[in-house]
Amino acid sequence: MSDHQLTEEEYKAQVAGVWKVTVILSIVTVVEVAAALILGPHLPKWIMNPFYAIASIAKAFFIIGEFMHLKYEKRVFMLSLGLPLFFLLWAIIAFGVEGNYLHKLLYLIK
Amino acid sequence: MAEVLEIKEHHTAHQLPTPDNGEGGEKSPMNISYGKTMMWYFLLSDAFTFSAFLIAYACLRLGHKWWPNPNDVFNAMPFMGHHKIPMGFVSIMTFILIMSSVFVVRAVQEGHRMNKNGVMYWMFWGILGGAAFLGCQAWEWQHLLAEGMRPFYNVFYEGKDGLTTLWNIHEQGKPMFSPGPVAFGALFFGITGFHGFHVFTGVCLNIWGFFATANGTFEKRGHYEMIEKLGLYWHFVDLVWVFVFLAFYLM
Repeated sequence: MSDHQLTEEEYKAQVAGVWKVTVILSIVTVVEVAAALILGPHLPKWIMNPFYAIASIAKAFFIIGEFMHLKYEKRVFMLSLGLPLFFLLWAIIAFGVEGNYLHKLLYLIK
Repeated sequence: MAEVLEIKEHHTAHQLPTPDNGEGGEKSPMNISYGKTMMWYFLLSDAFTFSAFLIAYACLRLGHKWWPNPNDVFNAMPFMGHHKIPMGFVSIMTFILIMSSVFVVRAVQEGHRMNKNGVMYWMFWGILGGAAFLGCQAWEWQHLLAEGMRPFYNVFYEGKDGLTTLWNIHEQGKPMFSPGPVAFGALFFGITGFHGFHVFTGVCLNIWGFFATANGTFEKRGHYEMIEKLGLYWHFVDLVWVFVFLAFYLM
């Protein structure tokens, strides 16, 4: 992102890049939905859910990197946004473990 | 010397000129304007809010023995009557939001070229996409409410022929203990509603951005940074939808 006038080639490359990411996002979404409809009823959740999660995180990286232009910002700025997200790792693990425990507890009661 | 010149040249992106008073404050270490930095940090805080909601949802869902199957709950499509199309409508909504996001990226790119008409053209399509998404969500909510889904009472249960609702029992006036997660509706309406509220504010802001562009406000300023900031917010809305889609419809 700079204030120098973009050359026609640079502009065209940027536009092409955006449409490429659009196609990637659409394909990943279609694959996710197709997997949910075709494989979902037959395969256990512990296989399907990580697959959906990884595909969604990949989509998130494309949106943040290309659409929100973070890929082209300074590394220190990326880190200032990315490092705080590690708190979420704790939250996901802690609450996931607790949820699993509650699930087992329910079976114990009955 | 050559290195210093290179850095100075590199660091000029949409920044207000600050006087070189010898204190070093004229250099922005992150090479990004104040407004965009603050938009990013606001979005980071918003990401924590959404994450907290979604993690609470995941914790409750894991803890329950039975959860309504999203393929059975979300299978209605407008104009298709009683045909069951699992994931169909929500896939269309996802695609609409992605495309709307793309249109706004194009508006930002045209802004870099100071192409006023280009910005207006793509902002228009972006706004239209956002409004279409809101319309879809309104239809979906209306449909689910008509099926009997309520925030603090779960109507879905596993009947003999698959998923069904307690609607008939309601009509007979016999209260029945909710078989599934009581918070199912609260989580769905709360989280998709909070996301929808973001879409709504985003559409409003984009409409303002459209008219400000038409007025020539940004042309006079000499840059379209405001469109970039609106774009950041709008892409974040798309980003959150990726995870709402994951948590409520895919998993």
